[in-house]
Amino acid sequence: MLTDLRVSCAPHISKPLSTRSVMIDVIIGLVPAVVAAGYYFRIYALILTSTCVISAVVTEWLCNKILKKPNSLDDFSAVVTGIILALSLPPSLPIWAAIIGSVFSIAIGKMVFGGLGSNIFNPAMAGRAFLTACFGMLMTSWTVPATIDTTMPKISAENTIHARTQATPLAWSKQAIKTKTGAEVVNEQFKDTFTGEVGGCLGETSAVALLLGGLYLLIRQTIAWRIPLAVLASAFVFSAIGYLTDNTAYASPLTHLTSGGMLLCAFFIATDPVTAPLTGRGMWIFGIGVGAITMLIRIVGEYPEGIMYAVLLMNAVTPLIDRLCKRIPAGGKPSA
Amino acid sequence: MGNPASNILSMKIATKGIFTFAGGTHPPQSKELTAESEIQRGPAVKQAAVMLSQHLGAACQPLLRKGNMVQAGQKIGDSDAFVSAPVHSPISGKVKDIALQSHTVLGRSPAIIIEAYEHNPTKRPVADKFTEEFDENKYSAEQICDAVRQAGIVGMGGAGFPTRVKIEPNPQFPKETMIINGCECEPYITCDYRIMLEWTNQIMAGIKLARKASGCSQVLIGIEDNKPEAIEVMSTVIEKSPNRDGIKVVPVKTKYPQGGERQLIQAILNKNVPTGGIPPMIGIVVLNVATAAAIAEAVVDNTPLTHRVVTVTGEAIDEPGNYYVPIGTSVEELIEFCGGVTQKSAKVIVGGPMMGIAIADLTTPITKTTGAITVLTKEQIGKAKFERQQTPCIRCGRCLEVCPEHLNPTKIAHAVKNNLLDVAESYYISGCMECGCCSYVCPANIELTGYIRTGKIFLARQKKKIPE
Ligand code: SF4
Ligand code: SF4
Repeated sequence: MLTDLRVSCAPHISKPLSTRSVMIDVIIGLVPAVVAAGYYFRIYALILTSTCVISAVVTEWLCNKILKKPNSLDDFSAVVTGIILALSLPPSLPIWAAIIGSVFSIAIGKMVFGGLGSNIFNPAMAGRAFLTACFGMLMTSWTVPATIDTTMPKISAENTIHARTQATPLAWSKQAIKTKTGAEVVNEQFKDTFTGEVGGCLGETSAVALLLGGLYLLIRQTIAWRIPLAVLASAFVFSAIGYLTDNTAYASPLTHLTSGGMLLCAFFIATDPVTAPLTGRGMWIFGIGVGAITMLIRIVGEYPEGIMYAVLLMNAVTPLIDRLCKRIPAGGKPSA
Repeated sequence: MGNPASNILSMKIATKGIFTFAGGTHPPQSKELTAESEIQRGPAVKQAAVMLSQHLGAACQPLLRKGNMVQAGQKIGDSDAFVSAPVHSPISGKVKDIALQSHTVLGRSPAIIIEAYEHNPTKRPVADKFTEEFDENKYSAEQICDAVRQAGIVGMGGAGFPTRVKIEPNPQFPKETMIINGCECEPYITCDYRIMLEWTNQIMAGIKLARKASGCSQVLIGIEDNKPEAIEVMSTVIEKSPNRDGIKVVPVKTKYPQGGERQLIQAILNKNVPTGGIPPMIGIVVLNVATAAAIAEAVVDNTPLTHRVVTVTGEAIDEPGNYYVPIGTSVEELIEFCGGVTQKSAKVIVGGPMMGIAIADLTTPITKTTGAITVLTKEQIGKAKFERQQTPCIRCGRCLEVCPEHLNPTKIAHAVKNNLLDVAESYYISGCMECGCCSYVCPANIELTGYIRTGKIFLARQKKKIPE
């Protein structure tokens, strides 16, 4: 009576979930940030974003062809990498540099390791690190958002910004550390970092947009909630320590949390499942590590930002963290 | 009986579960297909294939030869081993053969095939024989244990551990608490639910008999809170019952695999059964509601376990429902009895979709542990699962999140895949209860449970040095 019956091991049903649906969720979560970037930096932001996405996708396709691997574009992870890379680039970056960054992200950051799932470093951050190493100047000049009246520099009268570029709040606060004055100015800017009316990378300027997207991912349970919480909490604690020791020299914790890509990192970069630990405890350690290293770089180190290095460093120790944070079975370790 | 205070209490029965375990998932329940369908009598079979091993432990030896006559309820296979249970014929007839039949777990294994006589009245459930006033003190503990053993009762929820061994007092591990499992967390299946609604007094009698035999002071009946009616009827029958002290219904949260005995113990008592251990080690006996009903029947009516309620369900079944079926009926006959299947069927599963076993041989007989036959269509299985497309693990951690045993399924599965059994062991592969949660949630559609099960089999072979 019945022919053509399938047999396979249990379970026979599965949650309607795929790598692709997870990635599409992340893309949806990124939409507000892309829209905000388009609003503040106008058409060039969108050109930059599409450039990154397209070159990432093309690179992955080419790598698969060259490595004779099956097509993997349908998981949409290249699109995610492209968008995240774009959002972490300065808005004035030339197109050719964005292409180089995307190609590096996918080819070296992901495909040489064996493709999605096998890469050690967050591809977008790897690409960004490459760009920073090669074109340091380009990577640190920040266009003022188009919505700001550029004849009236936001930060202070005596600063030497030119008409078109402006220091990021964090770069400014770095300056403040050196001169031991002026952190108040930065802190006043907190309102602007919240909406995005400040200089900075494409996607790190609008905290509202990032929070919106992050919230969406958390509600959809697309990302592990532990990592954003750990990143933000540890960054808050460490920046608060700085702020409490000297509030003229160090920016307030809220400024730190809302600027310099901290939110982008907490919700979209550090939560990249492939390069973050698997276990709950591991996720806490990873998140706390990212937050702490970032603040260490921002407060003590030379760079005003630091997210990228923090993520890459913690990526590198992720296998170790996973090994150290083994789960203990519900019934305890077997006695045998 | 009953004091006023408890009567007031009985008016407000809390049906909301507050207890649960950590991990687990929420597959669609799909119980509505059969939840309202009363237990009906199953097919009058022409032939029954009674497997000689339907339980954990030693297989039975046949007590008859080909050509022998046999009466319904007659013992046809038994074993001297302590951990074993005899098997009985569900029908009167003639032994046609002793031959190999497909068994869902053991593969091809011996069964006694009985050809029914022409006039073979189908057995009715005995639930009406039990009333609320049932007094278990008419029976001694030894009598109960003996009846349970003679009736061949095994855990009817899945594993099939001989019930006598479970309830008999064991000086090494004194029993304190008995948990009655009425969770039925597996999607689609409703046989336990129907038994609770329709055979309430019989279950209650069985519970009290089992309590008496085991010497437990406390009996907790765990029922998922998606079955408020069952929680109510069970609570009500306890209120009306004599000697009810220490018996209580505990609603638990609806979550798969809440009905796993380790998860149920964790939820109700907040105790963990040691990994690789069994509940008696911490003084707990877990019995399924169907098992309790069988105990009552065996002790009071002196009838062996020859029939059970099976849910025949799934979107591909024409007339899904709950049927009182002779053990040994073939899946094929049962499906035909339920109106056959629709064209779209893609998988026939003995059990439910999470832990059940897909079969290709429809002559596979129903055993004491078969609670359901689920026939799924391609749509229910899902395209990815149907075509078995796997993508690389993205290390998302979902499998860890849902694992009720708190294991690291992806690490274990990939170790097995790469033939690193020692690594799999170092991630506690033996702790896996094969609930299927990890495979269910994996976005990469990796058959984690399948790999883990394979790994366990390899390890067992390695340990016993069984040649491949
Ligand atoms: S659920 Fe699947 S993809 Fe996610 S970590 Fe587990 S095995 Fe990997
Ligand atoms: S590893 Fe085993 S116990 Fe854990 S979710 Fe998977 S099947 Fe269930």
